[in-house]
Amino acid sequence: MISVVQRRQIKNMIALVAATLATLFGLVWLVWILWTTLTKGAAALSPRLFTEMTPPPGSDGGLLNAFYGSALMILIAVVIGTPIGILAGTFLAERGRKSVLAEVIRFLNDILLSAPSIVLGLFIYELVVRPIGHFAGYAGGFALALILLPVVVRTTDEALRLVPHYLREAGLSLGLPEWKVILNIVYRSASTGIATGVLLAVARISGETAPLLFTALNNQFWTFDPRTPMANVPVVIFQYAMSPYDSWHKLAWAGAFVVTAFVLGLSITVRLVLRPRNFK
Amino acid sequence: MSAVMSVETEDNGSETANASLKLALRNLEFFYGKHRALHGITFDVPPNSVTALIGPSGCGKSTLLRTINRIFELYPEQKATGEILLDGENILNASYSLAKLRSKVGMVFQKPTPFSLSIFENIAFPLRHYERLSKAEVQQRVELALTQAALWDEVKDKLNRSALALSGGQQQRLCIARTLVVNPEIVLLDEPTSALDPVSTAKIEQLVTEQTANFTFIIVTHNLQQAARIADRTAFMLDGDLVEVGARDQIFITPKDERTKAYVTGRFG
Repeated sequence: MISVVQRRQIKNMIALVAATLATLFGLVWLVWILWTTLTKGAAALSPRLFTEMTPPPGSDGGLLNAFYGSALMILIAVVIGTPIGILAGTFLAERGRKSVLAEVIRFLNDILLSAPSIVLGLFIYELVVRPIGHFAGYAGGFALALILLPVVVRTTDEALRLVPHYLREAGLSLGLPEWKVILNIVYRSASTGIATGVLLAVARISGETAPLLFTALNNQFWTFDPRTPMANVPVVIFQYAMSPYDSWHKLAWAGAFVVTAFVLGLSITVRLVLRPRNFK
Repeated sequence: MSAVMSVETEDNGSETANASLKLALRNLEFFYGKHRALHGITFDVPPNSVTALIGPSGCGKSTLLRTINRIFELYPEQKATGEILLDGENILNASYSLAKLRSKVGMVFQKPTPFSLSIFENIAFPLRHYERLSKAEVQQRVELALTQAALWDEVKDKLNRSALALSGGQQQRLCIARTLVVNPEIVLLDEPTSALDPVSTAKIEQLVTEQTANFTFIIVTHNLQQAARIADRTAFMLDGDLVEVGARDQIFITPKDERTKAYVTGRFG
């Protein structure tokens, strides 16, 4: 006869093993992806990856123009999407807890959040690319901004709603105006959550390919000018992976590895550096 | 109502002239939506005194306190009618500026509410909102407020540390210092020690007693001993009614109302 204690220990053991296996199952794929991209792209993973331009077929080169293009487009997206997103999220959390308007905005924002990114790319194509008559780097930035925006709105809204209401009451009780309470007290308590949202949104857009196909397209050459078509990592990976050239394949793998590692690093940074402080 | 009015007449004659009153509540009613939580409360608060509001949970003590600085207006479904006269002016009038009201009436909450700022900034921030001061003056005022709140000796070497790192009792005294630094006339304390240990509680009670010369305190408390220790006047509330208000000894030793007697002798609540 096994005792109650033993039975509980056995159950505990089973649950623990199952949970560990499930975790490992999830981790295996991540490690596999990283390992595959690392080994396949190893040949191209060298300082040249970051110092040379995308090569013509058959020769060696790097992805410098693609990295620069991606960085610039992400920067444009962050510069446009973050302030609008934080302001909208602030409105939802501080002014729209119960209003119908806010509920409608939340609903529309959720639709934007789950809209296929290719649709957003087509939208910018119609709105920007067609009128100006050519692909442009900044159009890619706009498309990415549309993907980043709803993420920032949502996380800002949620982060602000987590700030206990008595903190606002305490600020207002001191006679401070609402904007000072939000700016100096509420934002400070929610800063970790808001920053987390922005970083996760950056992680989300750094691998987006579809919206850039219709907007920034690609560019074989170096360009500083976002008014021209620009190279970017996801589209270069796409193009090079589909090509018949071995050297391009290697570069595609190397690019994939860098993007994956970048996103992983960003996520780890979010967790370690911006670990939410428990607010008593 | 008549019982309420009748007990208002005793107590060292402070009710006679309006000029000597700091705060006067006249037929104050309060509504959470349709629920009437306060039933025509009328009582007076003399300046430089400590008034304790006692009564069982849900009797309306905190609700009453929250009308005095109109913090309830954050919630659109809440409404107060009647008059609250601060130095003779009805602060419930929409034309009475909220900023002005809250600069005169400070509030400390049940849970400590430190901002995620340094200890120093927690106090300097509201101060700078009201007064344009030099750096030295700000430091002076912060030190004064922390001294008044009996916290200076404990934090003087770590003013730049986060206020969130302080203990609960220290955080609460920080919040009191933050309220005092802008020189309010009335300080509302909503069960300020209910979450604190006995030592912190004693410190807060002592500072309230010491600061009566500078401020008028209204304190909500569940702790009858606390009311007996620090209050000049005590108001007993029950189910939204003000049953009896008077000098401390009158309420605790010779209550006029049977219900007050039952409550202060621990028979209910």
